[in-house]
Amino acid sequence: MKRMFSLLLAIAMVLTVLAACSNSSGDQMKNASNEPQSGGNATEMETVTIKFWRPNGNDAENAAINKLIENFEAQNPGIKVELENIPYDQYETKLRTALAGKTAADVIAIDSPTMSSYAYAGALYDLTPFFEADGNLEDIPDGIVESMKYNGKIYIAPLSEANIALFYNKKMFEAKGIPFPSKNVDEAWTWDQVLDAAKKLTDPANGIYGLDPAQGFGSGEGPAYFKMPIIWQFGGDVLSPDGTTAKGYLDSQESIDALTFYQSLYWKYKVSPLELPPDPFPTGKVAMFVDGSWSLPHFTNNFPNFKLGEDWDVAPLPKEKQQVMANGSWAFGINADTKHPEEAWKLINYITGTEGAKIYTDMAGGLPVRTSVVDQTPLMKEYPYNIFVEQLQKYSRPRPITPAYPAVSTAIRELFEDVGQGNRDVNAAVADAVKKIDRAIQELK
Amino acid sequence: MILGKSQSLRKGDEITGILFILPAFILLLVFVFIPMARAFYYSFTDYMLVSGSKTFVGFKNYVNLLQDSKFIASIKHTFYFAIIVIPVQSAIALGLALLVKPQYKYTGFFRTAFFVPVVISTAVAGTVFKLIYNRDFGLLNVLLGAVGIPKISFLSNADIAMNGVIILGIWKAAGFFMVVFLAGLNNVPHDLYESASVDGASKVKQFFYITLPLLKRTTAFVIIITTIDAFKLSGLVFVLTNGGPNSSTETIVYFIYKTAFEQMKMGYASAAAFILFFMILIISVFQMFFLRSKVNH
Repeated sequence: MKRMFSLLLAIAMVLTVLAACSNSSGDQMKNASNEPQSGGNATEMETVTIKFWRPNGNDAENAAINKLIENFEAQNPGIKVELENIPYDQYETKLRTALAGKTAADVIAIDSPTMSSYAYAGALYDLTPFFEADGNLEDIPDGIVESMKYNGKIYIAPLSEANIALFYNKKMFEAKGIPFPSKNVDEAWTWDQVLDAAKKLTDPANGIYGLDPAQGFGSGEGPAYFKMPIIWQFGGDVLSPDGTTAKGYLDSQESIDALTFYQSLYWKYKVSPLELPPDPFPTGKVAMFVDGSWSLPHFTNNFPNFKLGEDWDVAPLPKEKQQVMANGSWAFGINADTKHPEEAWKLINYITGTEGAKIYTDMAGGLPVRTSVVDQTPLMKEYPYNIFVEQLQKYSRPRPITPAYPAVSTAIRELFEDVGQGNRDVNAAVADAVKKIDRAIQELK
Repeated sequence: MILGKSQSLRKGDEITGILFILPAFILLLVFVFIPMARAFYYSFTDYMLVSGSKTFVGFKNYVNLLQDSKFIASIKHTFYFAIIVIPVQSAIALGLALLVKPQYKYTGFFRTAFFVPVVISTAVAGTVFKLIYNRDFGLLNVLLGAVGIPKISFLSNADIAMNGVIILGIWKAAGFFMVVFLAGLNNVPHDLYESASVDGASKVKQFFYITLPLLKRTTAFVIIITTIDAFKLSGLVFVLTNGGPNSSTETIVYFIYKTAFEQMKMGYASAAAFILFFMILIISVFQMFFLRSKVNH
């Protein structure tokens, strides 16, 4: 009896270990498409297999990519695509280590701001001749084409984009008698108008703040994405146009003005919270909230009692001297070491081309990059999506394109933390940030 | 050593012994020692992740690290954490063990309850405490507010954020060392206490003159392991504060991870890792020497 039990226990333990070991790297989808052979194999076509890596998305995004691969393989009988969906948090690390070890896939998803690091390291294939041949570059807005280039050469093809705007709580505005901001993209409020409204809306006794200007104090790439635009809006910049230094730009008077204004929201006027609870906007803790297009489905699906049009609305992102925000989302590049560049390009061109991008946008959401796709998607021309799309086309620009971008992003995040959370003297904090950035750029010379 | 008596060990036994150790040794070699040696080599290069370029730079990484204000700050934060956690956590663990030692009806329940935080995953613990610590809506400040104490913002006040991490760290680990101390306590022969009572010693005196001395080996173990864990702190930081606010909770391991995988500076990060390695090595050796005990029961 005892032996039987021990034996069963041992078997159970071994099985558990095997089960845990097998599926450790997220979804491994071997494309087992057993397509019916049309007649006999008359042509001696060798099947080319392309490996494709991307970070795991939500169900809709994954389904969209699977569908696109299915279509692509049907249209290209000699090419097989082997997709691997890698857990989002591990993606960058896995990609970088694989590139270092020369084991990365042929087609790889690249987050636009990191593109220059990879291009600088020689990890990406030059796509310029491909785009010039059949990439239909004119279909992509200039601001976005800028984000695809490093040193004049194109290295990535964008699939879908994102954009940010000002979400506001209508009921709170009505209660305080504040007129709503215009929904017209060309009539954005200035930050002064926003501050005015925020002062009236802030109610410390009830724990309600008038404004969160840039998603609190998070981690990762978010802070740079939301906070750099504030510097741009005041007429400042982070790096020189040739990307060699921050001195003279991050510490210019305009940039300092931007940071001083940002700091005043937390410490002088106290209209912004130092700590954000989860989902502060739909739970009525913040009256005005700068957030991204990706939150539209999030609010609609998860907060059914908080209705668009009734309880809240979207207005264009505030401006100051300029109206501007960042672009650059997940795109696809080709591994410089690939043995099949033409086939890899065919795959990318299909997925990000008009046909593929339309299918993706319909199934997975996101803002389409190509004007041709926007024209075919009525949803993108209607409120509230039209605000994001028009801003993307007219007022977006890439974050600094430099191989030192990771250091720049971290320096900006820390700068805004210093000034916002730490209430540090703006000039001192900026001087520190300039030093950090310039040192990082120097190291990569 | 008793090697002199090895003629009683047959040749076959020796080989069997070696064969038993071989698998573990090979695993250690392949997965620990060889990578360590390579990392040590990388620490003398400017190896960048992705590009894979490696040029020998001698001691430049180490020299730069000693002048890197972020690295120095991370060392300070780690030391602050260690200096508070080691004595406080060990004292709490010992206290809990003393409470749980007598076999009353419900001590089993409490023993489990104190141990449960150890079993909870770091991510879960960090997420829950993040909600508890929230300045305006967290449980902590709600309770403090009810008693009239002003709010504590562990997550947005750079001066006290580390204390929040410390509290979480102690809550999470004390249970484990409680069990260790329990084992040590149970090894103290009961008759010693009986004879002490007969001689009229108070419970307090018994604690200081019987329990503590006989716990020396256990205490040494607890302190050394706690020290090593404290210096390697990173998981809780990632989930609770992500190094913030204002980089005030960045520890050495956190710094190494960010430098290696975000900034992609593998050579530099390897050098930092070895500085940490030597730091812990020296401190542990020091502690082992200091805490050695020749007490025999």
